[in-house]
Amino acid sequence: MVRILLLTLLLYSSIFADNTYERNCVSCHKHLPVSLEKMFMQYILVYGDEKNVKAGLKHYLKYPIKDISLMSNLFISNYGIKTKSTLSDEEIDEILEIYWDKFKIFGKLN
Amino acid sequence: MLALKSKATNSLLKSEKQSFVRFLTPYIAMVLLMITLLSVFYYQSQEKIMFAQQRATLSKYAYEQTKKLKELHYAFDTKRHYPRDSRFNSAIYDLEQLQIFSLLENKKVSFDAEIYKTDKHIHFVESLADFYLGTKYLVIEVSDDEVWKDDIWKNIFGYGLFTFFFFLLFGLYLARLFLKPMRDSIVLLDRFIKDTTHELNTPLSAILANIEMMNTEVMKEENKTKLARINIAAKMVSALYRDLTYLVLEQEKDNEDEDIEIKALIHNRIECFTILAQSKNIECRLDLEEASIYMDRRKFTRVIDNLISNAIKYNKRHGTIGIKLRQGSLTIWDTGVGMKENTIPFIFDRYMRFNNTEGGFGIGMSIVKKILDEYQIIIDVQSKEEEGTKMLLKW
Repeated sequence: MVRILLLTLLLYSSIFADNTYERNCVSCHKHLPVSLEKMFMQYILVYGDEKNVKAGLKHYLKYPIKDISLMSNLFISNYGIKTKSTLSDEEIDEILEIYWDKFKIFGKLN
Repeated sequence: MLALKSKATNSLLKSEKQSFVRFLTPYIAMVLLMITLLSVFYYQSQEKIMFAQQRATLSKYAYEQTKKLKELHYAFDTKRHYPRDSRFNSAIYDLEQLQIFSLLENKKVSFDAEIYKTDKHIHFVESLADFYLGTKYLVIEVSDDEVWKDDIWKNIFGYGLFTFFFFLLFGLYLARLFLKPMRDSIVLLDRFIKDTTHELNTPLSAILANIEMMNTEVMKEENKTKLARINIAAKMVSALYRDLTYLVLEQEKDNEDEDIEIKALIHNRIECFTILAQSKNIECRLDLEEASIYMDRRKFTRVIDNLISNAIKYNKRHGTIGIKLRQGSLTIWDTGVGMKENTIPFIFDRYMRFNNTEGGFGIGMSIVKKILDEYQIIIDVQSKEEEGTKMLLKW
């Protein structure tokens, strides 16, 4: 009984987490011409490793300005700068964890 | 001068050998150390040259691989195949030196050096300015056939051996140069002995013959004592004369080996030394059994004379000498002044003297050893200062 309860809780939390990422990120980005994966590659090109990528993204989500955006001028002039995130630090960390796991390079090369 | 050198002076004395070894041992050690250090420097410099040559090639490979990584980075949504090259293996690592992907055969990578050698490979670590695929470090690996190493070892062994033998010969030359004064003095002494020996014979024979002929019965007691002293002194000179004659003339003669009855010979020789022993009030203890030896009588007599003469000369007044004879062994011992333990190995060196209270050239024991060696007779010397000396002969 306890095992069933734990499994249900785990399944629920993962669905809920994915929903956070889908709801807060994908819902808007799916309308943009540059995919989240392309943006991830841009971030990893500049910031290098997991710690720096997450730190850079978190900062940009909280304080989005043109000067620190990694997107091209053309993109910014067409779509502008995103609005400041209203999510809490914990929620941003959770989303960045999902984002990193989804697009990280480790284990994907053959 | 060369013509005057006898066989004995041509070979090295023990003290000369010791000086020779004392000089050559640190000299050779220093030469070996110098060759080793030079070899290490040479090896390191050659390795650096090899790395410099490899660096140019590997740097070019790294540049090509970086370009391919860049292409893959921008096409990552459609392509996941890591670029490979038949000329080298490669691997990519992130800022934290975590492996992103690797094709290296030797996966143990050091990020401290730009280029280094593993067992069978050379690794070249390139730090990228842009993090394509999150890459900070690109490692290029090529196999190392170690041909360059074979050449280095050949040179080290070749030139090393040449240098070693060159310095060895130079060292031998230097050692001979250092020993020359010692050798010259020995040759000079040899020449002196040879010259004076010829002149000693006639007057010595005249003295001894006249002492024997003197009628002591009509002499005053005081004169008898004086004559006895003259007799002792003349006999000592006579013993010395025989040693010198043996050294410069007789040792070259052919041996006339025969069976010698040692007991009779010892009695005969003891008689000759009686006056000398009496002058120091030395008691003589004989423990003689019948024994014989097959050798030249003159030579065996020289051995016995020298050993008995030393036992008396270096004895204390009222001391004792003992002679014990068994078949195959002869022991001559005394209660004399003895010798220090560390001087015992040198007593057979010519002109080596440890006690200047008695006269002599220091040639007696050298003659003894030469004769014993010739007949393969073993001599064992035991001595304690102020207690005495024991010489054991075994054949």
